[in-house]
Amino acid sequence: MFLFYLQQLINGVSRGAVYALIAVGFALIFSVLKFSNFAHGGLISVAAYAGYYFSTKFNFPPVLAILCTALIGGIMGIILNFIAFYNLQRKNSPNIFYFVSSITCGILFMNILTLLFGTTFYAIKPFFKNNIIRLGNLIILKMDIMILALTFGILAALMLLINKTKMGLALRLVAIDKETAMLMGVNSSVVIAVTFSIAGALAGISGILLGANFTIDPFLGNMVVKGFIASVIGGLGSLPGAIIGAIMLGVMEVVFTVLVGDILSPAVIFVMALVFLLIRPQGISGHFVTEKA
Amino acid sequence: MNDYIASLIQTTCISMIGVVSIFPLTGMTGLFSFGQAAYMAVGAYVSGLLAVKLGMPFWICLLLGVLSCGILAIIIGFPTLKLRKDYFSLMSLCLGEAVTAVLNKFGTVTGGAAGLSNIPKKSTMPMIIISAIATVVLVALFKNSRFGRMSLAIKADELAAKSFGINVFAHKMKVYIFTSMIAGYAGVLYAFYLTYLDPNLFGWTRSSEWVIFLFFGGVNSLTGSVLSTIILTVLPEVLRFASSARIVMYTVLILLVINFKPNGLMGEKELRIPIRRLLKSGPNGGEADGVAQGGKR
Amino acid sequence: MALLKVENVSKKFGGVCAVDGFSMEVDKGEVVGIIGPNGAGKTTIFNLISKVYETECGRIWLDGVDISDYTQEQAARSGIGRTFQNIRLFNSLNVSDNVKVSCDYKPRYTLIEAILSLPRAIRGKRETHEEAMACLRAVGLEKYADEKPSNLPYGMQRRLEIARALALKPKVLMLDEPAAGLNPEECAELVRFLKDITQKFELALVIIEHHMDVVMNLCNRIYVLDFGKNIAVGTPEEIQNNPKVLAAYLGEEDD
Repeated sequence: MFLFYLQQLINGVSRGAVYALIAVGFALIFSVLKFSNFAHGGLISVAAYAGYYFSTKFNFPPVLAILCTALIGGIMGIILNFIAFYNLQRKNSPNIFYFVSSITCGILFMNILTLLFGTTFYAIKPFFKNNIIRLGNLIILKMDIMILALTFGILAALMLLINKTKMGLALRLVAIDKETAMLMGVNSSVVIAVTFSIAGALAGISGILLGANFTIDPFLGNMVVKGFIASVIGGLGSLPGAIIGAIMLGVMEVVFTVLVGDILSPAVIFVMALVFLLIRPQGISGHFVTEKA
Repeated sequence: MNDYIASLIQTTCISMIGVVSIFPLTGMTGLFSFGQAAYMAVGAYVSGLLAVKLGMPFWICLLLGVLSCGILAIIIGFPTLKLRKDYFSLMSLCLGEAVTAVLNKFGTVTGGAAGLSNIPKKSTMPMIIISAIATVVLVALFKNSRFGRMSLAIKADELAAKSFGINVFAHKMKVYIFTSMIAGYAGVLYAFYLTYLDPNLFGWTRSSEWVIFLFFGGVNSLTGSVLSTIILTVLPEVLRFASSARIVMYTVLILLVINFKPNGLMGEKELRIPIRRLLKSGPNGGEADGVAQGGKR
Repeated sequence: MALLKVENVSKKFGGVCAVDGFSMEVDKGEVVGIIGPNGAGKTTIFNLISKVYETECGRIWLDGVDISDYTQEQAARSGIGRTFQNIRLFNSLNVSDNVKVSCDYKPRYTLIEAILSLPRAIRGKRETHEEAMACLRAVGLEKYADEKPSNLPYGMQRRLEIARALALKPKVLMLDEPAAGLNPEECAELVRFLKDITQKFELALVIIEHHMDVVMNLCNRIYVLDFGKNIAVGTPEEIQNNPKVLAAYLGEEDD
């Protein structure tokens, strides 16, 4: 019995690791630019298809495929910024517009993919010939270990970037107050472009790993909602929080699938998220910002 | 009249009720809900089920369908409207998915993925058209009242609104319940027009479509919402686009609008119909009519 | 008891004590000024009284009623009206609508009556319109009723803020730097205007101000704040000659 629950826990954590990658990309944009970027989902979908091409069609080794997809993701991130947000930044539009623009772009990307690739399912060639590791009666997938390792590695690298480099400092400054940062000589357009390229690269990696775990279809990117929920649980804008939130979400999902079945799972998650937000609206590691008059 | 044109008019009108229903919530109060189609689903299924399973007369199904939306809106609105705007939007998205999940799960009752069929066709074309016009009028009167003004104030500056006596949470609840019931009404009309329901008709893509139409027309303009629904529903039909291509067209249009004319097609302008002058009743002139529209007429 | 009585309120932000044990009393028809160097905590006091911040310690009474636990909107409905240091007008509404917002919380007509355009709604809208126009006339802005606030010059925007606060029919009116950006003539006009409305509308007026000529000519009493603490209270003459006040504004003099 205990082994059953342990197995479910492991499944939950590995699912959470996938969500964590998405959540971190999402949280990054939120903390620097202060809006929820739903186009992240579109980027993930695009990256999944790119990943398919690199790993399965061109037969790149997994690491190379991941790197190339990350690169594509980064480029797409910059393109996204240009078509969806650049003009808004120039006009200093209210946050609402960014949100709508991002959802619109997300939908656009996913539907362009539908037009290009139809709704046939594609599958990425498995990364590991022998995916399964057995520990007694427990099953751990090599893929999941790789995802977990990648996620923590990326987070560590990001934290280093943000806290120890000049660009990271610029990022933090723009996150706190864009206008003042600009007055201090920070080129906010560059910073924003960098933010989007990093987030795009993260989406890229998320996309190819998600694609490897599930089948690829244009609406794979709808997983970004999980990233949003994870970010919210962890505290919007907090990168470590996003990871913790994601793992919690993964575990909760597995638990509820066992308890109430797959179909009803979204409804239960909705209620749980609602309850959570009422009890601790600032998330696990977030803080409130009180408005001053 | 040509069947095809008739169905086009009716679907446009039903869509319009949906889009106009989110105008007070999203356009005026700034609450971005990507789950209002869930209320359309509730209205449709409650009324549809009452007709199919219990054989109740149309008007009772209608009434109960709309009321159930109001009750659900109270239950959902109470916790979610206290949250930050981002969180509210997220929860509204999840609401849509949750409702679809519940409808799918309880398939023995709802017909599940196979759908609910044999709903009597009670929505006639005149009924649908008149409903659409009536909804636009109701929302216009909302806008021109103290409720519309409070919504705009809350959207502009919530803290300042509170400083002038507005109970922001209570107001948001009222708007949420009001708009959800209108969406529910659209659902009832839809159910008794299509005579068949399917849980996947009311997902977040439909909700997003409404928000997108709203934006395209101009988030501050009711006339814009009406026009954009007509344009964006009719145009792809006329050009014979398949579903995905149609959506690509919508989204590109929205992006163009957001980039170059973020206030939407109509900006802040409204069509002013001088009904008072026409009917020669009520106070003189337009000034006493509550909320005026911006600087120049 | 005075119309507005503030007793020993404090406000901390993290480790910083923005307001430390502040007390104040204002009566109907009185004009009280709060002055002090920048960052002394003056706007924080307004935020405490108008309940933007919760009262963590101390108490506040309005007309004998303890309003310490009121919410912002309850405080506004009880009669606390205010303006903001950085003008916070509703920019998407025109001038007259900005003022009408203050009348909107009153249940003059219900939502149903509004959407069906029943007589009670029509009457209610007319009443609101008349009240708003009266307030606009009081500040001299009635000609600009249909303009957008952002099109108005700065001084008029400040007057609009006052009109909006007046429409609330407040017992206490709190103005945050009403003279900011005004030249000496405009300041004198402002003093006359404020004295006038204090009498006409039977208000207790509290102002935060840096223009000393306005403060000295207008106020019956002045509270001086420095680093969140009240360092002096008195009439304009007393304050002008108070060495602690001079020290706070000018710093210690080296002899």
